[in-house]
Amino acid sequence: MDKGRAPMTLPGKKIKRSLTLIFFGLLIILSMKYVDFNVLELFQSIPIFISFIFTDFFPPNFSDVADYVKPVIDTLFISVIATCISSFLAMVLAFLMAHNTTPHPVCRIVARGIVTFLRSVPFLLWAAVLVVILGVGPLPGMIGLILFGGAFLARVYAESIEEIGSDSLEALDAVGATYGQKIKHAILPQFLPSFFSWTLFMFEINVRASAILGIVGAGGVGVLIKESMSLFQYSKASAVITIMIIMILMLEFITNRLRRRLI
Amino acid sequence: MKNSDQINIELESSLPNTGKKIKIAHKATQRQQRLFFGIVSLLFIVSLFLIEIDYQVVVKGLERTPAIISEMTQISFEQFGSLLSGMLSTLVIALLAVIISFIVSFFLSFLVANNTTPNKYVGIFFRYFLMVIRSVPTPIWVLISVASLGFGPMAGIIGLIFPTTSFLVKAFAAQIEEEGNDVIEAIRSVGGTWWHVIFKGLLPVLFTGLISTLGVRFELDVHESVVLGIVGAGGIGYLLQSYIQYYKFADLTLGILIVFITIYALELLINWIRIRSSAR
Repeated sequence: MDKGRAPMTLPGKKIKRSLTLIFFGLLIILSMKYVDFNVLELFQSIPIFISFIFTDFFPPNFSDVADYVKPVIDTLFISVIATCISSFLAMVLAFLMAHNTTPHPVCRIVARGIVTFLRSVPFLLWAAVLVVILGVGPLPGMIGLILFGGAFLARVYAESIEEIGSDSLEALDAVGATYGQKIKHAILPQFLPSFFSWTLFMFEINVRASAILGIVGAGGVGVLIKESMSLFQYSKASAVITIMIIMILMLEFITNRLRRRLI
Repeated sequence: MKNSDQINIELESSLPNTGKKIKIAHKATQRQQRLFFGIVSLLFIVSLFLIEIDYQVVVKGLERTPAIISEMTQISFEQFGSLLSGMLSTLVIALLAVIISFIVSFFLSFLVANNTTPNKYVGIFFRYFLMVIRSVPTPIWVLISVASLGFGPMAGIIGLIFPTTSFLVKAFAAQIEEEGNDVIEAIRSVGGTWWHVIFKGLLPVLFTGLISTLGVRFELDVHESVVLGIVGAGGIGYLLQSYIQYYKFADLTLGILIVFITIYALELLINWIRIRSSAR
């Protein structure tokens, strides 16, 4: 039987592939050992988790709904402010970072370093640190979002600026345009579509993020969730979560509409 | 530079000077963009005025800041060992969550994708169900699982599984819908079954995409799993949270550095794997 079959893959590749598989298998087994994970426990835990959701979280208790309005609006405010400021800062950083618009290579390296550092630390950690420094309230959460979001946006903005072809830049160079003119007439028109799309994406992320900032004491609906969960008032927590889901889905719908209009 | 300036002047003087500019921008787009920026700046100003920030607390905090920063710059390596083992268990939690979610989402995505779903309504049902799961932020899932299962890595893994699975199903299903049509037709036309379509046809085609999606999600999950500790599942976040609580800023700096270096190294590694696997 086997004689008639042509091998689909080269033998060398086959060995490489099985070595990769063995490596990953070992990695998984070692990591399961490391945290004392066993599959049986997983299968026992998932039903507990699901039945917990259905018995303790349902039905949601909407009796205090009036108290939830302000935190929800606060959450939206935090995400609007954070998105605006971070996209402005990110624009500046992106023009410093992208290799075709950077004024000086040193600027590029410095900006890249800052952005990489800020982006590689989770925003909730920034928020938690800032809460200690600036006190409980929406401001530390906002700054945390700006730090992380600005760095994320700077990276993607810079990538989309770098993708812009050099044709129009060369053309403007040839007629002696200044740096500002080059940015205005060559870079911006081609960069705006991706600017809109990424900024709207960031807004969605920021809404979700500012909804959970409250967990570390940084304002928004998260405060309500954390409070009601630690007081074991799960039906209240589920009401807040329901409101949050509706808010997030509605905003996602709106941003999708906007994205289609603008691009 | 001088040369081009001269040319500019010559050109300008040779043209009849009407003082008008030729407009090249697309008017409708421009109007829409102006409207967008106008509304956004209005929203921004409104929210800036309406949000309540207690400036007294902020001023007090700013007074304390120099002292905190000087404490933070004195990095102490006292907790290095426990921070490293915390980071390792954070990574392990993320890895296990991604692998379990991969197994589940691999099959679910073929049920969800339009062109491979055995039943249209099953596909639509799962699609909306997963959308709701996805709209609950990950830390909330972890809070719930910590509340139901108690502290520990298992709560972290289960809390991560739900959002990770729904993310992966969405990404995989999109890839299947995008690239699968030709392959499915080819295999169906020679009489292949549903299993043949998936394992002989789609899996090899989608392999590169799957790997890079998994890489992206693993990175995200490491971020999340660092945060998880803050809400009560194990890992480095728990340590960081306790340093923040007890004002141990010297240890906190080291913790943040370890998180940064790990996540950055991971990003480089995943990029390397992605390039390697797409070159194959």
